[in-house]
Amino acid sequence: MENTPLLQAVGINKQFSGVPVLKDVELSINKGEVHALMGENGAGKSTLIKIITGVYTKDSGEIFIEGKPVEINSRQDARNCGISVIYQELSLIPALTVVDNIFLGQEIRRRGFLDKKEMRRRVKELIEKYEFDINPDAVVQSYGMAKRQLVEILKALSMEAKLIIMDEPTSALSAAESEKLFETISGLRDKGTSILYISHRLEEVYRLSDRLTVMRDGENVGVLTKEEITPAKVMRMMIGREVKQIKDTSGKKIFKDNVLEVKNLAYKNILKDVSFKAYGGEILGIGGLVGSGRTELIRCIYGAEKQSKGTITLNGKPVKKSIAKNIRNGFSLVPEDRRSEGFFPVLSIEKNIAIASYDKLAKFGVVSRKKEIELAKKAIKDYDIRPPIKSMPVGNLSGGNQQKVILGRWLTRDLKVLLLDEPTAGIDVGVKGELYQFLEELSKKGTIIIMVSSDLGELTHVADRILVMHDGRFFEEFTHETVTQTAVLLAASGVHTEEGKAL
Amino acid sequence: MSSRNIRKLISVGLLIILAIIFAASTESFFNSRNIILLLRESSYVGLIALGMAFVIIGGGIDLSAGGIVCLSAVVCSRLAATNDVPAIFVVLAGVLTGMACGAINALINNKLHLTEFVATLASGFVYTGLALIVAYRENGRLVTQAVKNKGFLLLGDKIFGIHVMTLTWIVLMIIVMIILYKTKFGLHTYAQGSNAKSAQYSGVNNAMIKASGFIICGFFSGLAATFTLAYQGAVSLATGTGMEFQAIAACVVGGVVLGGGHGDALGAFIGALFLTLIMNGLYKYGIPTAYQYILQGGIILLATAFDVQFNRFTERRLSAVTTSTSAST
Repeated sequence: MENTPLLQAVGINKQFSGVPVLKDVELSINKGEVHALMGENGAGKSTLIKIITGVYTKDSGEIFIEGKPVEINSRQDARNCGISVIYQELSLIPALTVVDNIFLGQEIRRRGFLDKKEMRRRVKELIEKYEFDINPDAVVQSYGMAKRQLVEILKALSMEAKLIIMDEPTSALSAAESEKLFETISGLRDKGTSILYISHRLEEVYRLSDRLTVMRDGENVGVLTKEEITPAKVMRMMIGREVKQIKDTSGKKIFKDNVLEVKNLAYKNILKDVSFKAYGGEILGIGGLVGSGRTELIRCIYGAEKQSKGTITLNGKPVKKSIAKNIRNGFSLVPEDRRSEGFFPVLSIEKNIAIASYDKLAKFGVVSRKKEIELAKKAIKDYDIRPPIKSMPVGNLSGGNQQKVILGRWLTRDLKVLLLDEPTAGIDVGVKGELYQFLEELSKKGTIIIMVSSDLGELTHVADRILVMHDGRFFEEFTHETVTQTAVLLAASGVHTEEGKAL
Repeated sequence: MSSRNIRKLISVGLLIILAIIFAASTESFFNSRNIILLLRESSYVGLIALGMAFVIIGGGIDLSAGGIVCLSAVVCSRLAATNDVPAIFVVLAGVLTGMACGAINALINNKLHLTEFVATLASGFVYTGLALIVAYRENGRLVTQAVKNKGFLLLGDKIFGIHVMTLTWIVLMIIVMIILYKTKFGLHTYAQGSNAKSAQYSGVNNAMIKASGFIICGFFSGLAATFTLAYQGAVSLATGTGMEFQAIAACVVGGVVLGGGHGDALGAFIGALFLTLIMNGLYKYGIPTAYQYILQGGIILLATAFDVQFNRFTERRLSAVTTSTSAST
């Protein structure tokens, strides 16, 4: 391969409301190479991508395409520079054909009418050139995820893309489909297209990439060439120096009389065989990549999904299929996406808190207004919800306070189990600390706390025990004392700590 | 004062202003006879609107209400055509027909996984068709039957100078108000309309709430049909035509926002009163029907546009509070 740079980004800075997100970041991608971009959640990868593709504008810095400085202020600018992105959620219209999708918004016309023949001819040409197994006349909805991705790639190629950015392209693909995609990517590279590849799956990155840029906390950590890449090295660069805080566990005890037991749990093709026991008084952290089955596990335990195999019991009694009954038995959930699954935006703080407790607030179905107000006041005070106005619609609160309202919903109940799915996503640091404090207090009272999180710092600092999922199973278990972020990250990719050391 | 109450005060204020304008400019508007008739007329659409409010607040819509009114009215008229069936059973038949239709709506919506819109659009046609089958025929031709049942006709009369229908409407409005604001069922309905997924995860039985909403709407449609028959003494097969849209309009004008989570029974009540009052007033002015329709459309547009602006305004006011309090921390 020729080693001439296609895209160079130099000294890129970006702030959001005064907080620097990118600090003098550099990125250089050669012609015809697969370049990987790695970093933890929040390292600044997606911000950088959005600047290159014209979604955000940079505060300072320069971007060069083939050595010439360019200004990219819109998606159209990016397209004109030959940059295309293939997003995690594909942007195709399912009811249209492959040809229609590819030319959507840039249709070729002759005398005011669509020139279907010409569009079809061009698509066919591309398909033949890149040897894709795609029928130009097929309706996109008849295709699975893998083929839809190919259509997306075709779309990018039809716009004469020189650089195709792929964000977690294998997250929705099976192993065989991923294998096919890798072949496609190699094929594209051999024909001179550059690929910027973003993935949390380390093994893919090692196999595919010619070079790799690592980011951490909005800064460049370094660039590795193919020969230099090893999992342990990349991990260390991503995480940096590990600051290990051992939390104060004095006064903590295990409540043997409150135990949740999951045995041989399977759900669709996502959960394969999961077994564990969790006791009152412990905070159990569940790590793993998105798609490893973490969310489904939580939902099965809560009764929101029905498992295909296995048993879930709380203190010997099987968990019900009705959420209402499980709530009465002491279950509670802080769901993954609080906006769509957690709160009621137009309803007041008071109603949002009372919603799960009307069985206790009502006599013969009639709700006591006095008790409802008392409950809201207590939650607002105990959790320091701001502003402390109980009639305020929750849609108007900040993310952290919205999460406090959802936690407050469960506060006054006699909780046996609290399930949390990414509880601190998009929440500022101050409120995070408060939430951890609440969890610690609740745990001391004997509640079983199970917390799914992608935030490695959170898992290693807050959880007493960490189970890491990989491909629908528990892959490795750590205790608070022995865990490291690197180990969790390796386990999530299916690498045992011992093997990781050897690499 | 909460924005909900401000919204209501504004619409009541408008209602009073309109009434004053009509009273001052036409002679036949502000006399007790016209007012009593006006209330009676409002209670027809108003009763249906009370049921519709449940469905809309819960996040759905019921387009079959008109069909239900037609079917219930025809069933009642068949039973009341002689003196054989006691009046109480005639009333029960009317109401139960409505509730049965509501239950069918719930089944279609739940079991076939159809949206409320499509499910009730289709079932509404079916109910109207059923009414045609049930209707009385002589020598194969549809004939309108007069109600003979004396007891049943009492339902169309007045007590203390006000129609039984109007009184029932007011009493039921208060009861619905209590159900919506004071019971677990009512509060769960708001929650479902605001965010169905969140409601599910909070232990709300969405299927039960939806089904109840449809059955309640069926109940009110059946009741409206029964009263109208008793008042008019006979019904044509055109009864109920378009009433679903009148009821939805009453809800929307009264602040029961389509999509769910907003509004209440009093709002639907005021909305029904508002629309009827305007139509009545315009009629007294002698304005042609064509313009009455156009004005009605205009009012619905105005009310909805007002709600959008009003909600934006309160939102801005609230976010100002949020930022100022979080800045002070």
